[in-house]
Amino acid sequence: MLIDTNVNLGPWPFAPLPELSAPQLAARLATAGIRRALVAPLAAVFLPDPMPANEKLFAAVRRTPALLPVPVINPALANWREQLDRCRAAAPIRAVKLFPNYHNYRLTARRMDDFMAAIAKTGLKLIVNVRLEDERHRYFALKIKGVPVKDIARFLRRFPTHHVFFTGLYRPELKQLAADHKNFSADIAFCEWAETVKDLLSVMPARRLMLGTNTPLLSTRAQADKLRLAQIPARTKALIGTENARRFFKL
Amino acid sequence: MRIIDVHTHPVLFKQGRKPAEVRRLIAHGRRLGIVHMIVLGDVLLYGAQPNEAQLRLMNDENARLAREHPDYFTAFVYLNPLLGERAVMAEAERCAARPGFRGIKLEIANNAAHPCMRHIAKAARTFNLVVLQHSWSTTNIKDRKHQSDPIDTALFARRHPDVKIIMAHLTGVGFRGVLEAKGLPNLWVDTSGGFPEEGLIEYAVEHLGPDRVLYGSDLPIRENSVTIGRILGANLPAATKQKLLYGNTARLLNLKLA
Repeated sequence: MLIDTNVNLGPWPFAPLPELSAPQLAARLATAGIRRALVAPLAAVFLPDPMPANEKLFAAVRRTPALLPVPVINPALANWREQLDRCRAAAPIRAVKLFPNYHNYRLTARRMDDFMAAIAKTGLKLIVNVRLEDERHRYFALKIKGVPVKDIARFLRRFPTHHVFFTGLYRPELKQLAADHKNFSADIAFCEWAETVKDLLSVMPARRLMLGTNTPLLSTRAQADKLRLAQIPARTKALIGTENARRFFKL
Repeated sequence: MRIIDVHTHPVLFKQGRKPAEVRRLIAHGRRLGIVHMIVLGDVLLYGAQPNEAQLRLMNDENARLAREHPDYFTAFVYLNPLLGERAVMAEAERCAARPGFRGIKLEIANNAAHPCMRHIAKAARTFNLVVLQHSWSTTNIKDRKHQSDPIDTALFARRHPDVKIIMAHLTGVGFRGVLEAKGLPNLWVDTSGGFPEEGLIEYAVEHLGPDRVLYGSDLPIRENSVTIGRILGANLPAATKQKLLYGNTARLLNLKLA
């Protein structure tokens, strides 16, 4: 049984993707052996306030237990505390997700001090999305780049007692961060090279890597096969595919 | 399913040349069902515009792989069109005379719309070679001098309708690239390069038909399990997947594999 830490639900305007319902999404994931998934609302990426998308997500997954909702919080908005409280009241969430590059703030912003303190009090895990797509293929008028590695490094140095989970790091970015920082984990959705997982394990311990597919923007089957067919010990595969997520997110 | 990978670089920046590394690659491929690979060469070893001597070195490496493992590797000859007709024809002739060469590989020496591409077309006709042109959308990569946008590769195909051409990198050329290739029966698209963006394989088959899409990985820059999984996971009939993974390349390159 695999747990997918990087799944999205909702519309995406830049590709002709079918908009899946929650049960359809769960069924698609199941075809690749994924039985549980942390799901964020894709519409929150482009909305001025993520809450309508969060609430839609909570309603959509209520009867689909395979999908665990991960609401999006925007710490650049004046009401981020209210966003956090409302999300916690609405659903049994285990984590919240940030999209700094889409929401026009930096991880190095001073406002992150209060936000990180509040997150620590709740006991929730923090997921930071670095990118949703390969920047070379984005829509011509969308000039959003991935979250800069130097910002992530400063962020990790500034909050050394927090262990943050990053989705969407490129392989060179992950390797660069792994050399200097131990207080983060990452998914493998945007890491690829021959024998990707074995390659990543040369710089990052297995207990800090997790399966992430970035479904539905990337092919679920292809992304799951990256781990499923990796020539690594079964125990290591189980850590990356299931147990790390179960432990970290208390699933 | 049996699989032919039409886009590989087993040796990249001199990594992967040792016999043990080659054997390991073949074993890795076979585990995934890959029965044959097309070797395109260590194409960026000497930069974007290699000279004649550098091309010979890289093509000799391809020839060595095809000679030592003829059942597993077919080679393409890597050329720099900017070197002119004499150099292009001489290197194409030298390689075409050796066993295991079936095509020409072009990278980023020049844009595919450049007039020097007529030398490539002449070499392809003369030695009965298929041309594989690196292609990528220049919408966000602002280097049209070296990068061939799908518009440019399609123009090359339109100018030389008797030459069989592969537009490399489906993800790189994207939906727009598929539409550029539509209606050009001498132009195929390979699925190599980029992350496995959802829906693109199905879109390519919808617009180009099941016979003009070829499985490729871009190994080692990409991982075979991912690039194969992208096709196996596509919403397509099994027979179409088998064409993409094997039949189309076998037919295009006239490969008779055991």
